Amino acid sequence: MSLSAASTSLLRAGARQLPTSRVAVASCQQQRGIAEATKPTFSSPFASASSSTSKIPDFSKYASKKSPRSNQVFSYFMAGSLGLASAVGAKATVQDFLVNMSASADVLAQAKVEIGLATIPEGKNVIIKWRGKPVFIRHRTAGEIQEAEDIAWEGLRDPQPDADRVQKPEWLVMLGVCTHLGCVPIGEAGDYGGWFCPCHGSHYDISGRIRKGPAPLNLEVPQYNFPTEDTLVIG
Amino acid sequence: MSPLPTDSPEKGLIRRNAVYLTTIFAGAFAFEIAYDTGSNKIWDAMNRGRQWKDIKQRYMVAAEEDDE
Amino acid sequence: MLARTVARSVPFRGIARQSLNRSSTRASSSSAGAESANSPFNLTVTASVATAVAAGSAAYLYGQEAFASTPAEEGLHPTAYPWEHAKWNKTFDHAGLRRGFQVYREVCASCHSLTRVPWRSFVGVMHTVDEMKAFAEENEYDTEPNDQGEIEKRPGKLSDYIPAPYPNEEAARAANGGALPPDLSLIVKGRHGGCDYIFSLLTGYPDEPPAGATVAEGMNFNPYFPGTGIAMARVLFDGVVEYEDGTPATTSQMAKDVVEFLNWAAEPEMDDRKKMGVKAIALLSGLFAISVWVKRYKWSPIKTRKLVYNPPVSRR
Repeated sequence: MSLSAASTSLLRAGARQLPTSRVAVASCQQQRGIAEATKPTFSSPFASASSSTSKIPDFSKYASKKSPRSNQVFSYFMAGSLGLASAVGAKATVQDFLVNMSASADVLAQAKVEIGLATIPEGKNVIIKWRGKPVFIRHRTAGEIQEAEDIAWEGLRDPQPDADRVQKPEWLVMLGVCTHLGCVPIGEAGDYGGWFCPCHGSHYDISGRIRKGPAPLNLEVPQYNFPTEDTLVIG
Repeated sequence: MSPLPTDSPEKGLIRRNAVYLTTIFAGAFAFEIAYDTGSNKIWDAMNRGRQWKDIKQRYMVAAEEDDE
Repeated sequence: MLARTVARSVPFRGIARQSLNRSSTRASSSSAGAESANSPFNLTVTASVATAVAAGSAAYLYGQEAFASTPAEEGLHPTAYPWEHAKWNKTFDHAGLRRGFQVYREVCASCHSLTRVPWRSFVGVMHTVDEMKAFAEENEYDTEPNDQGEIEKRPGKLSDYIPAPYPNEEAARAANGGALPPDLSLIVKGRHGGCDYIFSLLTGYPDEPPAGATVAEGMNFNPYFPGTGIAMARVLFDGVVEYEDGTPATTSQMAKDVVEFLNWAAEPEMDDRKKMGVKAIALLSGLFAISVWVKRYKWSPIKTRKLVYNPPVSRR
């Protein structure tokens, strides 16, 4: 770009100087004509003014009829459009590669588990497998709900009210993995009427909160929702 | 660069490079949305009556009637 | 590049031929017949004969069509049908897919598996969620081992795949006289002729084999099947299924529907593929046009410049 600009400017300068140099050459020749008879002559090997080949053609018919400003705006518009379309294409390409890395449809289809709740009687535990881990579902009785809510939860090791751990108080849904070292606790056992981990003796209450033993945290609650009255979708 | 004429609508977009580039990238997102929407519309128009969304009415309604 | 070299070589060959002709005429006009065998004319004749022999034998050896199998072994080539869904801007007829799945379920599924298609993929394509859940629950699947290590049965879920009619290949062969019914998940992609072949096969059973054709015991004659002897008998007869949307269930209608359904099973991503292709082509064409303009814009100062040189003039 800079090279071409330089060459154009050079060319332009040359063209502008041309008339003066032509005059100079002409004057030289006139002088030469006078001195010809007496002195040995030198004639320039380059074209003289009479046979000049440096005739600049007329480019005016190629010149744009529009104003230079509108041409500039148009060129900016075209360059901008090029950038815009390239950006769209680049974004689509990158996005396709990134989407390719996300979970495939068959994995996503298995990421949710649907359970019919009508078959679980009150006061019973059900263990189902979800993403390779056991999930405890307990249909709590009114007495158990009362018990879970009445505890002074502020003083527990991992303080959490029962209302934060359930969506519907009669359904307790938890990951059945002890927060200590990952054993599977036993249901309806332990000192607090909830779960008991046989590995290192952690006791969980009827809301799945850690009450005694080495475990540091309450049993984890997965994401779940109730699409209808008696179905549960985990995930 | 001499300033652009004041009546030019492009004046504001082109004068500053930052504004120019921002416009291009914002326009890219807008264009993509419009392009996708437009091509989907054309596709749906070309395939009217052939797609699931055109025929699902029959089966959705039938399923609801069965429930009742 | 290659084309350019070829184009360049053509004039050379012409020149060579001219010079050959010239030399041969010169040789004959000199009429020195007793000259030795090294004369340019003899050399030319020898070279020409050798070339002709080489080219002729190459044409004889390679020019003939070679068949590895007879037309009967290869099977009749199927008719090319104007499939609507094969056009670049058309999707499947989803009502037809729904009918095709019904044909598969009621006719094909007793022998042919469709193991790569899960129940969930029908949802929002040709069936509602509730319909597909009901279909899935009709089938039993193995659970993961329970506490005692026993594997129990559970009703199917949307994430399960369509169960195969036979537990393994041996059972399938035993039930079908030694022939294995192929899995249909990718059959449209896996057979020469694709949709045309399967449609022709399904509708191409003659009432009785033509005179002179030998059909092995337990086989059926179908001209489109390679070898003409196929273990599968004709299965599609008028009215063998009853379509829920009232479409007359003729043999060709059922064949068309099930072929379209199998094409969907083989490439469920067809719509996205077609849309993406057209969009990419349109966008890239626009980009190409603009880039041509930008190239001209950037090059215009270089292309339009003039270099002026005043050449030396001869002295007067």
